[in-house]
Amino acid sequence: MLKVRIIPVLTFNGFALVKTKQFGNPRMVGNPIQAARVFNSRNVDELVFTDITATYSGRKINLPFVKEVIDECFMPVTIGGGIRSLDDINDLLKIGADKVLIKNLAINDRTFIAEAARMFGAQCISVAVDARKTPEGSWELYRKTPTGLDAVEFAKMVEQEGAGEIILTSVDRDGMMAGFDTDLVNAVLNAVNIPVVAVGGGGNPDHFLELFQKTGIKAAGASAIFYFTQFTSFDIKKKLGDHGFPARFMAAGN
Amino acid sequence: MSCVIINYGMGNLASVSKALRKIGVEHSISADPDEVMRAQTLVLPGVGSFQAAMQNLNSSGLSDAIKQRMAKGDAKLIGICLGMQLLADTGYEPERCQGLGLIPGEVVQLQCSLPVPHMGWNNLEVRNPTYFRDLQDLDFYFVHSYHFRPAHESDIAALTDYDGPVVAAVQRGPVFGCQFHPEKSQLSGLKVLEHFFAAHA
Repeated sequence: MLKVRIIPVLTFNGFALVKTKQFGNPRMVGNPIQAARVFNSRNVDELVFTDITATYSGRKINLPFVKEVIDECFMPVTIGGGIRSLDDINDLLKIGADKVLIKNLAINDRTFIAEAARMFGAQCISVAVDARKTPEGSWELYRKTPTGLDAVEFAKMVEQEGAGEIILTSVDRDGMMAGFDTDLVNAVLNAVNIPVVAVGGGGNPDHFLELFQKTGIKAAGASAIFYFTQFTSFDIKKKLGDHGFPARFMAAGN
Repeated sequence: MSCVIINYGMGNLASVSKALRKIGVEHSISADPDEVMRAQTLVLPGVGSFQAAMQNLNSSGLSDAIKQRMAKGDAKLIGICLGMQLLADTGYEPERCQGLGLIPGEVVQLQCSLPVPHMGWNNLEVRNPTYFRDLQDLDFYFVHSYHFRPAHESDIAALTDYDGPVVAAVQRGPVFGCQFHPEKSQLSGLKVLEHFFAAHA
């Protein structure tokens, strides 16, 4: 039986790992290579690493550095940040990334996801859908400059174009450690059939249990819980397993 | 013992190479049929479509080299993911085409009510424990949309369940293939690779 996935999401500013709150106030939380080593030794299911400032600062992701992060990992790794071409994707896959995470280009260039999926296979093309709740109760696709797009519609669109996975982040819940936006997760799960990773708000194992019980989600991502609490992905999966969700239990090893 | 990771332009070479370094297996990465002919152990990785992969293998002379090398009987081979599927006689991705024919069978699209690709960690039901011993857990990482249907039940080394049985590993003599990614399956994956590389051809 397919297991639920709990995925640490590492956000990088080009120098250090940072943790944001509602996509602002980045706080430095450590060194990516050390973090990757720790998460690997904890046998996490997957890892997402994304350079959240590359695109806005107009630079490319630092490939030699990212390779050092990937080299620590014997589990699937998704890399994002600053992807501007098919060549950029190829470069990341060549150094051992399993999937790439695309955001801005998916918004700016409506043919890019389709081209990327055709060239590299849908399974390695993940799209970041960052969603912020509007006063009307829908969710706007969020980035630094307004998109005016509905996040759920956008998710549907990238699925049609051939995206293999959606990493869905609630901007409102990001870094708040007060629970996931289960309404947002349900809205997106109702709209698409590809795997969705729900991110934003997981601050303790009960938040994850609530997410899995209230939605049909099969994967959740988190970061603050791993930096600021004593809980590990094992604790989260133990909680889920105790409530009947199929989880992969591996004691930490080396 | 010389080991070659076959580079035919489609694959997770960096990850496979990293896993072999981790378990201490010396290896080269090569697209040269002569080097394949000289190797004791062949590693066939792969990500992408069956047809494109076979075109690359055929046009570079690697198909013939692999088949000739394995016919000599003193080499072993591991195929990973698409590399495992290429061991079959026939593939259908996207159109019918011939595979390497090292393990009789065909590779067809997954037909199920669950999302495709089958992606994530899934547990094995082991049929042939040769390379699946001493494992702390039986969860392995899968990403695939097509699956291998061997002609002979006895060639199935492990199954997984995804809305019905899916072949997770095949083994026929010195030819071994896994649909999952051992190089991405943490300690259990590395253990399977260790067993394979420790075995005699």
